[in-house]
Amino acid sequence: MNTKANLVNNMLTPEHKKGKLEKIYWISLFIVFGVGVYSIITGYFMQGMESTYLSNIVPWGGWIAFYIYFIGLSAGSFLLSTLVYGFGMEKFEKIGRAALLSAIVCMITGILFVFLDIGRPDHVMNAVIYWNVTSTMSWEIHFYIVYLILLVVELYFSMRNDLVKVAKSNNFKGKLSRFLIFNKQEYTDIDKGKDKKRLKIMGIIGIPLAIFGVHGGTGSIFAVLKAQPYLNSALFPLIFIISALVSGTALSIAIYVIKCKVKKQQADHSMIRSLGSMLALFIGIEIIMVWYEFLVGFYGLEHEELGTLQLIMGSPYSWSFWLFQMGFALLFPLILLVIKKTRESINWILGASVMVLIGVVGVRFNMVIPTLIMPKIDGMPYGNYYMNLSEWLTSFGVIAMCLILYTIGEKLFPIDELDSHEKGVSKHE
Amino acid sequence: MAIHSKSHLQPEDYSKLADQFVPNSDKVLATSPYDSELGKNMARDARKVINGKLKIEDFHRVYSASLIKEFGDQYASGPSETSQNSSTSAGTGPKWGMVIDLKKCVGCDTCTVSCKAENRTPPGMSYNVVLETIKGDYPNFSITNLPKPCMQCDNPPCVQVCPTRATYKMENGIVIIDNDRCIGCRYCMVACPYGSRSYDFGNSYEQEMIGYNDVTSPEYGIERGKRKKGDVPEETVRKCSFCYHRLQRGEEPACVETCIGDARYFGDMSDPNSVVSKLAASPRAFRLKEELGTKPRVVYLR
Ligand code: SF4
Ligand code: SF4
Repeated sequence: MNTKANLVNNMLTPEHKKGKLEKIYWISLFIVFGVGVYSIITGYFMQGMESTYLSNIVPWGGWIAFYIYFIGLSAGSFLLSTLVYGFGMEKFEKIGRAALLSAIVCMITGILFVFLDIGRPDHVMNAVIYWNVTSTMSWEIHFYIVYLILLVVELYFSMRNDLVKVAKSNNFKGKLSRFLIFNKQEYTDIDKGKDKKRLKIMGIIGIPLAIFGVHGGTGSIFAVLKAQPYLNSALFPLIFIISALVSGTALSIAIYVIKCKVKKQQADHSMIRSLGSMLALFIGIEIIMVWYEFLVGFYGLEHEELGTLQLIMGSPYSWSFWLFQMGFALLFPLILLVIKKTRESINWILGASVMVLIGVVGVRFNMVIPTLIMPKIDGMPYGNYYMNLSEWLTSFGVIAMCLILYTIGEKLFPIDELDSHEKGVSKHE
Repeated sequence: MAIHSKSHLQPEDYSKLADQFVPNSDKVLATSPYDSELGKNMARDARKVINGKLKIEDFHRVYSASLIKEFGDQYASGPSETSQNSSTSAGTGPKWGMVIDLKKCVGCDTCTVSCKAENRTPPGMSYNVVLETIKGDYPNFSITNLPKPCMQCDNPPCVQVCPTRATYKMENGIVIIDNDRCIGCRYCMVACPYGSRSYDFGNSYEQEMIGYNDVTSPEYGIERGKRKKGDVPEETVRKCSFCYHRLQRGEEPACVETCIGDARYFGDMSDPNSVVSKLAASPRAFRLKEELGTKPRVVYLR
């Protein structure tokens, strides 16, 4: 899938070496992005929802699936970063800021996807102004805003010490940093202590926000729908959270390892290995949950639920379940992360993470689409939905935008800890 | 005749038509046991009320005494509490409901067609459908036709989930959509257990039906003029409103009026003596997906 290629490409960006690779990376990203913008204009803005293959039977499709995918990535990477800032696990310090940055960028991407799915962009502020307290979606919209602000503030404080250092240089980056730190000259130990405390508080506020507000909340957008028996289960928001952790951890591993490879730095083996075993743990929990979700679902012998399960597991689209959801998202990476030989190797851990990142896309599609295809009342027609060209182009464009934003973020801000560069990573080994 | 005139019928033409309808109206009126002059005066003033030249309260004040004299205790004075336009206090007023007799439904789809004509729904959208299910194999089989409008649930999941409160339940039991507020997120469509909601993708019959775009259906009594690309209600969600705009002028929903089998009944469910209330109390009555607790206002007779 393109996503994977892009993702790998992204991480391959050498910061100092303006090589051929980087050129290819930027050019290809901007081409994909440009095509996406073109298809948004000709499709979304000129034709509206008519440009998609959505219908009255399947009113939500690929964009909603990508939306929850990215919200999941965001919540997952943020929760990972709280290990560092909330609970002071310094071991993972190296991925802390990158995780925050990717949480921000993924959040923006997710919100953009859901914005694209809204029929009347001119009415969109109504969703902020008129708050319906019984609507999970209404709560989500407000939580997303708060969460995004929290992420930005937290990232800012987490890199303030390095911003002060960068501000000494006189290039654009330096100027930007000077502006951001309000011309602060000195980063004292008092500042350091204060920032650490601030980060801790924000991390701890952020945990319930990310769990209940952002991802559990997004899960409950779906779980509260009694019209969709397949989704209507209390376990569903939990599966959302745990699969957010799975994909977020995988994203952080992938970003870190690929970045090290591109910059030809020594990667921190022990950290990657412990992240790998964390990933395995999360996948294990997810398997348990998914198992019970399906068990209870089957056991009910409820007509619509069985029909949905059959659509997921036995329809022409079931490859997305068996290969992506079961294979790439759960079993293959779990096997890789458990077998002694592969779980020690950074390349295999990277492989497992990339697999997860691809597989979870399938998981998200299976959450949204099959249950809508299943008719709600006997005698109503089955839906038929797959993404058309315009939807795909738009999606790739938005994903390219996500990568562009991330890379720009990496380039403009001191996302890597400056100390660890200078002292070298081998010390931690 | 006016029909052949170059311009459309004007209001005066209608009065002329009405005047010529009965050759000698005074003679006919004289056969009535009641006071004809009173009736004529009331008709004249009623028009003033409709035109807004006379207040409904004044109208009642003027005629109350003579009406009581004429009709005795059959007449209840005062502005009608059931009037849609009067500002009734909360909890009074009718609570609309529909009863559909499945034994009488022949599956002709007249309701679907008349609904489409009334509400001018675009291609791919139908507020009312008739679902046909066949049980058993030939020769032992039965066919059930299930006409399905919006159930106007008393506990509507669509209202619960709408992030903007664009869709809400009215005092009279009808669940409506404020298309000027709806953001088109389609959450309500996913949440409706009956598949009653449709999204206006902006399609049009203009190709095969000249003049389709000339007028948008005055749903909820709002005149929107021409149907134009990008104008509300396009790109928002729409659904059956029990023909609220028809109720406002005292007419039944189009599907009820046109049903050839007389399978549909419409009325005030809060009045225990109404036909619908009585039918809804019948042992044949059931509602769709009752177990979900949505409390539909559409009752079926099996
Ligand atoms: S039938 Fe559907 S659209 Fe109609 S009130 Fe009930 S939930 Fe809402
Ligand atoms: S589509 Fe409109 S009516 Fe339906 S939930 Fe969204 S804002 Fe509310």
